[in-house]
Amino acid sequence: MKKIFNLALGIVTSIGGFVEVGSISTAAQAGSEFGFSLLWAIAIASLFLAALAEMAGRIAAVGKRSMAAAVRERFGFHFQVIPLGAELIIDVLLLTAELGGAAIAVKMLTEIGFQWWILPIGLAVWLVIWLGNFSVIEDGVGLLGMVTLSFVVSAWRLHPQVASLAHGFIPTIPHHDLTRYAFLSVSIVGATVSPYLLNFYASGALEEKWTEQDLWVNRLTAYLGMGFGSTVAMGCLVTAAIVLGPQHIKVDSYEEAARMFVPVFGRWAVTLFALSLGIGCFGAAVEITLNAGYVLGQAFGWTWGIDKPRREVSRFVTALSVVLLLAVLIALSGWDPLQVTLISVALTVVIMPIIVLPFLVLMNEEEYVKGHTSGPIGNGLLAVLTILGAIMALIVIPLEIFGG
Amino acid sequence: MDVVREVLDKPVVDRNGREMGRADGIVLAIGDGQPPRLEAILIGPVVLGRRLHPSIGRLVGALERWLGLGANRPVRVEFGDIEMIGQKVKVRLAVGDTGADEVERRLRRWVIRLPGSR
Repeated sequence: MKKIFNLALGIVTSIGGFVEVGSISTAAQAGSEFGFSLLWAIAIASLFLAALAEMAGRIAAVGKRSMAAAVRERFGFHFQVIPLGAELIIDVLLLTAELGGAAIAVKMLTEIGFQWWILPIGLAVWLVIWLGNFSVIEDGVGLLGMVTLSFVVSAWRLHPQVASLAHGFIPTIPHHDLTRYAFLSVSIVGATVSPYLLNFYASGALEEKWTEQDLWVNRLTAYLGMGFGSTVAMGCLVTAAIVLGPQHIKVDSYEEAARMFVPVFGRWAVTLFALSLGIGCFGAAVEITLNAGYVLGQAFGWTWGIDKPRREVSRFVTALSVVLLLAVLIALSGWDPLQVTLISVALTVVIMPIIVLPFLVLMNEEEYVKGHTSGPIGNGLLAVLTILGAIMALIVIPLEIFGG
Repeated sequence: MDVVREVLDKPVVDRNGREMGRADGIVLAIGDGQPPRLEAILIGPVVLGRRLHPSIGRLVGALERWLGLGANRPVRVEFGDIEMIGQKVKVRLAVGDTGADEVERRLRRWVIRLPGSR
């Protein structure tokens, strides 16, 4: 019974953890500009994310290592320094964007300028980490994150036509703005397959001391959790398509995006949108901050973990505090959160091949997964993602210039 | 034994199972006509920096000296002090007797001043 409860909790937390600044903004832009026709991008990206998370969880449960640790041990520091450095840069940028997103959400509720909220929100993130433990953080973030289901409710209540929804799951070449369409599809993948999610997921499995007996929990949590999570992003896209599309509103700011809730939620629209955005971003900010500590601790062999007394993991808590401080300072310097989001999403796409390629090797070595090596489907999926990732990495910079 | 693959970059734990870092570098003794023999393990960011480029190693070293970190870094674990090599490298030393946790101890002095650090 307890196992089933934990499983349900794990799935719920994945839904809550799925939605953050990147997925909301890319889905809203895709829906408002191209109707349902980019639904396939969310579906494919979520499938890849689920597959990668399941693999990262498998290495953690069987090989007792996170990705950062496994990559260093298998490929050496020379190789690792590239994905490690890239992941840290993306962590800082994405964290900046999440802090900005959360601050904008509070601004929508209070009418007080968002710059004023960066520092209090950063402090709140730090306090949650300092005072919480892993299950408090994971479950709290996940349960509060259920408010993001408003996107699904909204899409449901707008009664989208089933046939045109289904059509959206088939990639088609649009009649207008091909570069913009390609840019948004690549952005959706970059916003969904975040490296921090993978290492955070694996570190969580280590914090909760998963074993080989938990592999089925891992599989179900990864696929069902990410699957349900993706419906929230799809709900956002569908709502934006039905509400913002006909009015020709292009989502240049979160305030404009909030208008998508008006037809269904009326005078609660702004409040619900702000809560969804704010809680989604705040939860992601906590997870990204923690992940920065995890990655550094695991790469350099420090004692790490949020369930240990803070005095025993001084380097870990100092490292994550410094990363958080850095992001707060960048956010305070007045960068537009939406712009920072798009930059970090593009960077994620650029380094995707170096993040994915190690999986292809590690998942086939008994030292890391014992008898639970990947079958042809897992390997095939990874190979496709590596090739797709390499193509996207090559085109993302020109797309960023011409389509962004 | 393939020393590089078996030891380099593995986590190193002391005799009480406490983390000492990772095997950032190894010292090999190369004799005439004999396979290379593991002489010692090195732990410390200076060694890591050196692996990337000598100048990065010097830079990290200068930074450590500027921070006043002890002269016993990078930590050198002699082959005789290695107890076991498995998923982790277990050594017969205690981390507190080496310089491996110097940064941790320095930061701890600050961390314990904050409420809730226990």
